[in-house]
Amino acid sequence: MLLPDHQYVTTNSLKECLRLLAESREKAMVVGGGTDVIFNMRLKLFQPDVAVSIRKLDELQQVEELTNGGLRIGAGARLADLAEHPAINDRYPAFAESVRAVASTHIRNMATLGGNICLHTRCAYTNNSEEWRKGLNSCFKTEGKICHVIQTSSRCLAINNADTPLALIILGAVLTLQSAGGSREVPIAEFYTNDGMDNTVLRPDELLTHITIPPVSDRTAFLKLAPRQGMDFATVAVAARCDGTGEKVSKVSIVVGSISTNPIILHEPSRIVSEQGLGDEAISAAVDSIRDELGPLTNLFSRASYKRQMANVLVRRVLVALRES
Amino acid sequence: MPPPNDLSVIGRRQPRLDGAEKCSGRSVFADDVDLPGMLCGKILRSPHAHARILKIDTSKAEALPGVKAVITAAHAKGMMGGRRGAEPVFADDLVTYKGREIAAIAALDERTAEKALQLIEVEYEELPPVLIMRHALQAGAPLVQADKPGNIWSDNIDSYGEPEQAFDTADLVFEEKFSTSVTHNLFAEFHVAVVDFTLPNKLTLWTPTQTGLLMQHALGPAFGLSVSQVQIIHLNTGGAFSGRGGVRPHHYIAALLSRKTQRPVKIFAAGDEEFLVCRALGENDYRMRIAVNKDGTIKAVDMDAHMDGGAFPSEVGYFGWMAGLCNSWVFPLQGNRLRRRVVMTNTRPHFLPHGGMMLTSNAAIMQLCTKIARSLGRDPIDFLRQNAIEAGHHGLSGEVFASCGLKECLDIVRRESGWDQKYGKLPDYHGIGVGIGAMASGAKGAFKHDTSAALVKIGEDGIVTLYTGIPDMGQGTHTTMAMITAEVLGIRADQVRVVAGDTDLTPIDVGAFAQRGTVQTGNAVKNAALDARGQLARNAAAQLGADEDQLVFRGGKIYAAGNPDKCLDFARVVYGTLHSGEGRFTMGRGFYNSPLKIKTTSWSFGAQVAEVRIDPETGVVSVLRVTVAHDVGRVINPLACEGQIDGQVFSAMSQLLYEEVLSDEGMYLNPSRLEYKMPRTYEMPEISHHFVETVDPYGPFGAKEIGEGIVVTTGGAIAAAVFDALGGQYIHKVPMSPWRILRAVRARERSAVA
Amino acid sequence: MAKHMMTLTVNGDVYELMVSDNQTLLDVIRDTIRLKGTKRGCTTGACGVCCVNNAKGEAVLSCITHALEWDGESITTIEGLEANGELDAIQKAFIEFGAVQCGFCTPGVIMSAKAIVNKYPEPTEEQMNAGLAGVLCRCTGHVKVKEAVRQDHELREAARHAAAK
Repeated sequence: MLLPDHQYVTTNSLKECLRLLAESREKAMVVGGGTDVIFNMRLKLFQPDVAVSIRKLDELQQVEELTNGGLRIGAGARLADLAEHPAINDRYPAFAESVRAVASTHIRNMATLGGNICLHTRCAYTNNSEEWRKGLNSCFKTEGKICHVIQTSSRCLAINNADTPLALIILGAVLTLQSAGGSREVPIAEFYTNDGMDNTVLRPDELLTHITIPPVSDRTAFLKLAPRQGMDFATVAVAARCDGTGEKVSKVSIVVGSISTNPIILHEPSRIVSEQGLGDEAISAAVDSIRDELGPLTNLFSRASYKRQMANVLVRRVLVALRES
Repeated sequence: MPPPNDLSVIGRRQPRLDGAEKCSGRSVFADDVDLPGMLCGKILRSPHAHARILKIDTSKAEALPGVKAVITAAHAKGMMGGRRGAEPVFADDLVTYKGREIAAIAALDERTAEKALQLIEVEYEELPPVLIMRHALQAGAPLVQADKPGNIWSDNIDSYGEPEQAFDTADLVFEEKFSTSVTHNLFAEFHVAVVDFTLPNKLTLWTPTQTGLLMQHALGPAFGLSVSQVQIIHLNTGGAFSGRGGVRPHHYIAALLSRKTQRPVKIFAAGDEEFLVCRALGENDYRMRIAVNKDGTIKAVDMDAHMDGGAFPSEVGYFGWMAGLCNSWVFPLQGNRLRRRVVMTNTRPHFLPHGGMMLTSNAAIMQLCTKIARSLGRDPIDFLRQNAIEAGHHGLSGEVFASCGLKECLDIVRRESGWDQKYGKLPDYHGIGVGIGAMASGAKGAFKHDTSAALVKIGEDGIVTLYTGIPDMGQGTHTTMAMITAEVLGIRADQVRVVAGDTDLTPIDVGAFAQRGTVQTGNAVKNAALDARGQLARNAAAQLGADEDQLVFRGGKIYAAGNPDKCLDFARVVYGTLHSGEGRFTMGRGFYNSPLKIKTTSWSFGAQVAEVRIDPETGVVSVLRVTVAHDVGRVINPLACEGQIDGQVFSAMSQLLYEEVLSDEGMYLNPSRLEYKMPRTYEMPEISHHFVETVDPYGPFGAKEIGEGIVVTTGGAIAAAVFDALGGQYIHKVPMSPWRILRAVRARERSAVA
Repeated sequence: MAKHMMTLTVNGDVYELMVSDNQTLLDVIRDTIRLKGTKRGCTTGACGVCCVNNAKGEAVLSCITHALEWDGESITTIEGLEANGELDAIQKAFIEFGAVQCGFCTPGVIMSAKAIVNKYPEPTEEQMNAGLAGVLCRCTGHVKVKEAVRQDHELREAARHAAAK
């Protein structure tokens, strides 16, 4: 399983990088830590003409403490460094937890935050070698027009397994997307689409450069359930935030990941506990309400029914964690 | 020989003799072999599970610059691979499973080989496949092989003792159905074959293996060579776990390519390809019945199994036989009946996983035994102890258990696990369970003999070189063999150099499977060392004025028994034996073949207690601790024995709780080391090791095996603990994945409400 | 495919190399520099046998990174742990405490263990579990591996005292 033929380019300035992305149109792929991109290249799911390395761009690796108490993190910052960053641990413990939950120590020593946010979706049918896939008709990921998960689907249903976006969504983080033509700010809650192929709004000529997290004094929590600790994608992961103390809350947000093509922001359970507080009964009512919002669960390495039950369990646990924090 | 209580090398914690090589990156594995002019080989595999090959056009691939050979079934006419030669090396006109070998390429480099693969054009006519055993057994199911009606490859019933009478007369009969999933033999080192077949009368193959001999016997005839013209070099084998027991298609294909190109060829089974080269267990459905009297006597066991053998079942039925038979190795049964029907499907051929089918069948038996004990109001350890066999017991199929410490093992695990403080007293979803097991050492049947041989050469400086053909796949057998040699010669183990891993250099050895290493090869090595010692004894006895049979070899000295002060230096005796008028060079030879007609001389026995906690919301089982007591006959190297226990506990836990090949329409969904789940660091339990030394009359210094005996027993103990944690709910399917556990939790909650 | 000149320091030796765009660090270590101690495993980041240490002494996977990414950098492979003809304390601990069996994952495990003790001279159970979970050791279940990692510190201290005398 060699990497497909391509050109590898190291960029020495952001400007050069953006110019290159603009020129290569859809044929370029940004490489941060490489752990996701090279995996996909080995499986020939990514066959870019150009791999553009951003590793030498120091400006993308800084963690800047903002005067308002927030943080601005370069997309090229390594997960290993962020996991131990004092300001992150101090101000955003749930985010720090989500960073530590990603893959293994080895991977975190290479992978970047930007890479985890842009993590490509994975699918039981296509995350195998090219030879292995030949028994199947081409799907959306392999230049075809079907999805093996649900043949009638008009879009790819591969799963988004990223951990850190869940925490960043509840924290209200904003992503800076830059291109040669300019720059735009997109709340991370609006970054993902429900298409497993093009699962973010990032354009091919754009680069995710920074993640800005506003100051947050609310209670937050992040939980991940995985088949194995220390080296796995989640079965289900969840992040949640609320204001107030004890059972008393007025604003609650809950996000569930590793369930669908995008992180799912749960509205109904948030509404229930916002109105009724974090008592046991309200939490149970909130958990009971998530079914509709999760939608159909597909494309799974574990049973769909199991995943659904675990989403319930984790939502309950995360709300209890908020109450007790 | 020193009396058993006076051993100076055996019983010491001896670090691996090849530790420095392995820990410094010096050890050479097959993928590290880099020969001049070596080509890269790649195999084109069928994307379909069942299809007729209409046409193969290799012309475009052949025309690609850098491609040196393209071969198909046309180049391997009549060449049969697989176990017992049941499986043609390439699919000829019919493909019977997805991943089947269709063609192969040798090219200058991997990139060219990968490109050439894409240029081979194959036209298939797809046929309806039968992918699941249940479907294969349905009336009118497509046939995997035209001459196997009903897709039944074999149907065997073996009856030992008087099972019918036992079931008819027993007070109670317990019956339950169980099943297992498709598994994969995952080891650290991938499958790889490097072949140099550039001279017509010499084929050299570098590959990880459990047996050079079986590979010689398979490859020789296939290529018109005699056994000795095939050289197998298995320098280091990166784990085996029952998965490297013989030759596979890629070995033949590398040889075909090398012969055709007249250059060495390497084939590396990359990524998901390892899941196709693998021949682990397929699905099994089986019914277990146990007949028992109210007084707790287990009278008979009856196993009725359907086993998915895949497209080329070969000997999978044998492991069903073992799985049934092994119940009479721990219980003095009146009757034992085993039926296994091997079913064909259009899936990868199935053979065996680590622990064979015994691990999963023992998980079933130990759940049943816990159930029976509870039903009879008995403590499970008491119940098993009442039924445990003892030394001298005669089994139902000709076995004589010359040594047996099963009851001692049960006593130890009861004490060391805190059983009496815990059993029946743990909170909900926290369980403790006991398992027992036994394992035979020996492989008579692979050949008429089960011979290992060894040579012991003593250099004039007193350094001993041991030549043995037993492969070391990590179990540490080379260090064990050096310790046996050192014990006999009265020197330190690190004064023995081991030459192994090359069939040209080493004498015959059937191989490192069927738990035969320590017993069979160990005896051969001991005999060779004794032969060498005898050659030195003549000289030493003359110098000491003592009888040869009175001599003691110990601590690098030779002396007459009872008179250690008057001693000779071992190295000087060796030197003097050569540098004399006679000029004798010391070289001992020895071999060992089981004196018995049955496969086995010795059985190890063990008992284990496992403690688990289940999260009733997620179904996740955490194995907290496993207490292991094993009758190994004699502990040769405690360090290695502990390591074996750790590894087998890991392996059993992994198979029982985690490992499953998921598939959809014949397509594997998780053929990777990320998605085929094996536990890692966090999941490992605390393990305590205890040994019982029964000093077996057959094993060298009384030693028996410490491999699969552990894995089988752990399987039983963890399953029993899960059963206990669930308040007596069976888990019928292995692996006991979280969602299966959760179903049982729900069932329990429902029954509690009702 | 085009090749590019790069400089890579491996175990203190400076190599000037011609490297293709699509070669990984693992390819260069094994096939170009021909240090075979670092193993080829799954090549997708899941098994850890290709682990080497970066200049900071951290464990990274050589299979899942472009070789050219490492231009100008310095790495340590399993062959680089020995100094003055003597094995490193972590290697000695692995041998003495039976942390090595088949040996195939051992270079990856040792480089992971080395990274752990580089960062935490006396690591906790959690730090060891986290640092080793990325490597699949099929033989030992990491039980004796962790014993060896715990011993590294003592061996190092003992060596320091011996040198001081």
